[in-house]
Amino acid sequence: MKINFKKLLSRNETVLIFAIVIFAFVIGSKSPEFFTLANLFDILRSSFVQLLFALGVLIVIISGGIDVSFPIVGIFAGYTAVVIMQKFELNGESLLIPIVLAIVIGVLLGGFNAIAIAGFGIPTLIATLGTAGVFRGVMLSFVGASFISDIPIALDKFSTADLIKFESEAGTLVRLHVLVIPIAVITVLISLMLSRTFFGRSIYALGGGVESTRRLGISVKRTQTKIYMLVGGLSGLAGILYVSLQRKANPYDLAGSELDVIAAVVLGGASIMGGYGTVFGTVLGVLFINMIKNNLVLLGVSSSWQRAAVGVLLVIGITIQAISENRKNRQRRSATETEGE
Amino acid sequence: MSNSLQRFTTSGLLSDRKVTQLMGFTVLTFVVFSYFSSDIFFSRENFQSMAYQVPEVAILSIAVMLSMLTGGIDLSIVGISNAAALMAAYIMTQNMTDEGKISNTWILIACLLGISLGLACGVINAVLISILNVTPILATLATMTLFNGIAIGITNGESISSLPEQFVRIGNGTFFGIPTPFVLMIMIAIVVGFIINRTSLGLKVFLIGTNRKAAQYSVMGDRKVIAWTYILSGFLSSLAGLIIASRTSAASPDFGNSYILLAIVIVVLGGVNPMGGFGTVTGVILATIVLQMVASGFNALRFSQFLYLAAQGGVLVLVMMLNVVLERIRVSKSINKSLGS
Repeated sequence: MKINFKKLLSRNETVLIFAIVIFAFVIGSKSPEFFTLANLFDILRSSFVQLLFALGVLIVIISGGIDVSFPIVGIFAGYTAVVIMQKFELNGESLLIPIVLAIVIGVLLGGFNAIAIAGFGIPTLIATLGTAGVFRGVMLSFVGASFISDIPIALDKFSTADLIKFESEAGTLVRLHVLVIPIAVITVLISLMLSRTFFGRSIYALGGGVESTRRLGISVKRTQTKIYMLVGGLSGLAGILYVSLQRKANPYDLAGSELDVIAAVVLGGASIMGGYGTVFGTVLGVLFINMIKNNLVLLGVSSSWQRAAVGVLLVIGITIQAISENRKNRQRRSATETEGE
Repeated sequence: MSNSLQRFTTSGLLSDRKVTQLMGFTVLTFVVFSYFSSDIFFSRENFQSMAYQVPEVAILSIAVMLSMLTGGIDLSIVGISNAAALMAAYIMTQNMTDEGKISNTWILIACLLGISLGLACGVINAVLISILNVTPILATLATMTLFNGIAIGITNGESISSLPEQFVRIGNGTFFGIPTPFVLMIMIAIVVGFIINRTSLGLKVFLIGTNRKAAQYSVMGDRKVIAWTYILSGFLSSLAGLIIASRTSAASPDFGNSYILLAIVIVVLGGVNPMGGFGTVTGVILATIVLQMVASGFNALRFSQFLYLAAQGGVLVLVMMLNVVLERIRVSKSINKSLGS
């Protein structure tokens, strides 16, 4: 019983929950606005797009890779879907058409990543850095480089589709966006996929070791191809939802946001070496980062220092992870040494 | 797949061939652009402006090369160079009289402090990577956010411009008819080339990059060597930052974000193995010149800057693919040979 408790304490998720609770109390004691439903729903709303990206990044990181092209894939898919809708005068009332378009574009772009990574075995960071440059350059020179404010009606309307909407006693509008349901469903599905399906387990196996995965009889190339296409699709979906929530399609957006998402996933306990990571941890990581970003101002940190604050958190997060990893390795080594004697 | 030993010998034998190939590539690029844009590209002004732009990118690329030789990567170079430049610029503008006069001593102090900041950033990277065992990608991703955040925080995200005249003269002046930054670049290239080819530190860098495990077993102090590469990389990045500030007479926290992709493209194009163990300074300098010619050529031919971005990414992915294909052909040839004999 005692051992289980210790194990539970040393888990990344537990640490994160503690961190979230402590931060919540610190911020809440400074300003009572923090503990309102409106603020909670705001944090949720700003987490939707990031969470979708983060789930994609989680899958890639578990498989032992790293992807820095996903924000570009997202905005490419979202922006291009809007451009196609306008050019071919597709039914603007339909919400399904742009979403399907964006997912298809995302899967295609993910396919390019898959060719570079699975087909040619290029290191994932270098491959996705390269493809990110290509995607961004192609989008801005061939698809369009101008800001679109009159996005299709359905997408525009969707940004204010609220599940719960009422005025609180203080007079502020409390809104919970309807997206909370599909995002929750996707999160659960990905969690089930990772833990219950053969594909999910081969992702973990791949992160544990490429050669051993091959010896197990799992096709490394096929698994990698599926991973990058799936992540492309997720990014595409995130991109079009971003466009819808922002009510504008700006091709310069999202670029540079990859760090925050990777930070959330790593803080959530996923091992950058691959083979370990949980959806629950990622969800907590995303919520944690968004809670801090949304409320640093309440804490008295000026907006210009926010990036530095995120940087400090990241450095602390990876340091804690590295130290616990080092300790585990040392224990393992000493265990084998005593066995040898 | 070929083992490390084989990789070492094949790339060792091919070292000269790679540089020769690159020289051919340089001449080819030069001829193509001179032919298509004989009036703008093939002009004295263009060559002069290229000679002013190449050094900063080349120095940043050499910094990336150093970390890549040990099998790591340094993504924080641009963050470091901007932070160092801002530090120096801040001190200079603080100590300027209203007419913009400042003594040479203050400029020297400002530059030295900027460089020490770069060294300090390098030390942070070194501590994270070599002592705490954090994966280089992750550590430098985090510190990149941190350094950038500090730079934004200090200046509130604004840039510092109109630097003192003496300082600006360094970056825009000539030394015996050659632009001063170019002379600095050559000096740095010679010193770094000497370090990695002629000293025991350099030899250890290559050995660690080729096989970290073997390096550990031979007790050469691999952690210390890796720490040195990141400190040196921080130092070089801060120099590049000062050169940029001096040439443009300004320092900004978000200057040259695209330089990270560019530097990695250059390093890989220059024949450095991203897994570590092989690379030459000559290759990196030649690759910088090739990419600068492509940039100027695109400019002269009035292609958009985004097309250049796409070209950078495309070159990175294609060069990596070509390397893989050539390696496969080589391996299958050597297998056939040994089977035949």
